[in-house]
Amino acid sequence: MSADQRRDAVAMPGFSANTRKTGSSGWLERPPLDHIVMGVAILAFLIAFPFFNPGYRFLSLAITTGFTAIALYGLALQFGQAGIMSVGHAGIMGIGGYTAAILANQLGIGFWLALPASILLSALAAGLVGLPSLRVGGQHYIIITFCFCALLVIALTNGGDFTGAATGLDVGPIAGPFGINLAKLRNMYYLVMLALVVSLVLTYVIVHSPYGRTLWAIRENEPLARAVGINTNFHKIGVFALSGAFAGAAGILQTYYLRHISPPLYGAFPSLYLALMVMLGGARPLYGPLLGAIIVTFLPEVGGLDPIDSRIAYGVGLLLVILLLPAGVSGGLLGLYRSMIGRQRRAEKG
Amino acid sequence: MDIFLQQLINSLSVASVTILIGMGITLIFGLAGIVNFAHGEFLMVGGMVTWLLVMAGVNFFIAMFGAMAAVGVLGYVAERTLFRFTLNRPMNGFIMSIGLSVILQNVVIKALNEVQKSIPDPIAKVWAIGGVDIIAMRAIVVAITVVVVAITYFGITRSRYGVALRASVSDQDTAALMGIPVRRYVTGVFIYGSVLAGLGGALMIALFPITPFTGSVVIIRGFAVSLIGGLGNVGGAVVGGLVLGLVDALSAQYGYPQWTDAYSLVVMIVILILRPQGLLGGTLGPRAT
Repeated sequence: MSADQRRDAVAMPGFSANTRKTGSSGWLERPPLDHIVMGVAILAFLIAFPFFNPGYRFLSLAITTGFTAIALYGLALQFGQAGIMSVGHAGIMGIGGYTAAILANQLGIGFWLALPASILLSALAAGLVGLPSLRVGGQHYIIITFCFCALLVIALTNGGDFTGAATGLDVGPIAGPFGINLAKLRNMYYLVMLALVVSLVLTYVIVHSPYGRTLWAIRENEPLARAVGINTNFHKIGVFALSGAFAGAAGILQTYYLRHISPPLYGAFPSLYLALMVMLGGARPLYGPLLGAIIVTFLPEVGGLDPIDSRIAYGVGLLLVILLLPAGVSGGLLGLYRSMIGRQRRAEKG
Repeated sequence: MDIFLQQLINSLSVASVTILIGMGITLIFGLAGIVNFAHGEFLMVGGMVTWLLVMAGVNFFIAMFGAMAAVGVLGYVAERTLFRFTLNRPMNGFIMSIGLSVILQNVVIKALNEVQKSIPDPIAKVWAIGGVDIIAMRAIVVAITVVVVAITYFGITRSRYGVALRASVSDQDTAALMGIPVRRYVTGVFIYGSVLAGLGGALMIALFPITPFTGSVVIIRGFAVSLIGGLGNVGGAVVGGLVLGLVDALSAQYGYPQWTDAYSLVVMIVILILRPQGLLGGTLGPRAT
């Protein structure tokens, strides 16, 4: 099937009116100016952050935000682009994390060689877990993914020495290239942020590529997409695998940051929190998942809340977002920004 | 054989609690069209209310009604303030209920603590019948469940309200035109399901200690039961509960006990994939989106 056909699918009537321009030439649309400005500002902030002397606590929170956001970009791709929510994403992260830890413990393989293995295995696992979604509806699928997480925790806990049972596994520090000491927090920060920027760019490219338009078509009207020749099942599993690859990268970064992992990290509740963060931040806007991760990670620290209070606050926040801002906090901000720009333009026109 | 029979009877009482929660979920999910992930937390709240009342010196059976009333009110408030706004977008309702379950769990932890709670056996008696020891309280739990299941089953299949309810599920608009207050029925079913969760919680704490985290364990079993049986199908929930109870009893006795939880999860995933409408058939849930 050619790219033109896919573009036709998007341009067909019946799709929501707010689709982007479909007549653009070239493989990838040129990002608009405000996107570039925003991107540069965020990049500058990420690079400068450690120089503000944030202290150990804030720097580690920033690292946590970083790898959580990477996982969230995977989930956002799956939920925002393909329209399929899952509460098993932490489990997929766990596949990546445990792959790295088992490779390190059994074969002595370090971070850099384990990285592709983690990403591949997580993608594979996500694709497999995604298979039932072709057959059952959204809510049934969520319950299946929830079961997957619970099963994974049971399996990891009963894995004996191989998975370290309930105590989990330890890994050494990352052997940095060019003699960079990655056990140092600031260097770890830059590594995680590099990965985060890569995932941001990847997400942008995927969403705005012909592939992203194909996913768009599937999400908006699946029978129609199938009718114009899109292999919807193949693309759905593809997006699961992609989302799993993000989770795998996040999982291995988390493993090497914490240096110790255990089954509860990847259970049903961490998965629920990932889903919550995506909903809070908003799945479609480019910076939505990042915003969600920042809010959830930094809120307890900035607001001076203990863990129990902050969980209650997330819950209430989630309820409010769903009732009042169904597109997430970033979606709400974006709507505000657009309406302001629109008003300004109208004022200029007179 | 004696051990097997003993195990079977014990698992029957556990299955009773599972059936109660599964029935609540099956009604709310299949008939009211709301996926309430906080249902397990409703059960846990029911158990905690029972604990509070029993600790304050109230008789267990009165405390049980107290728990049912408290959780019923909780359900009413949740439906009125949250779920009624997402009836057209069940997916949002589902995600909201996840938030609600997080809130309830942590509010209970904050108000009480994380330590497991138990009450003294309300009736400490053991009947020996044919070489099998039956703990009286377990028999009572089973008996209460049987009564509740019968009431629910006949209420839905035979009574005027049940007919109206099923009419509103199969065709909302026509039912409304016939003068059935559909929205009110949705609220009613939600409250009834919540009351069942309250009862389940009270019965559960009579059998085992519970913690604020019990809800998240129970909810998966509840979904398993309701999905195995078919949504909206009361008989199906009973069959599902018995299947799960049997699987548990057999695996605890003859399988690897540390994998007990895994069996029911696997059974559920397989059934969901092979027969999404459940073993006995039911609705497919709120417009499978």
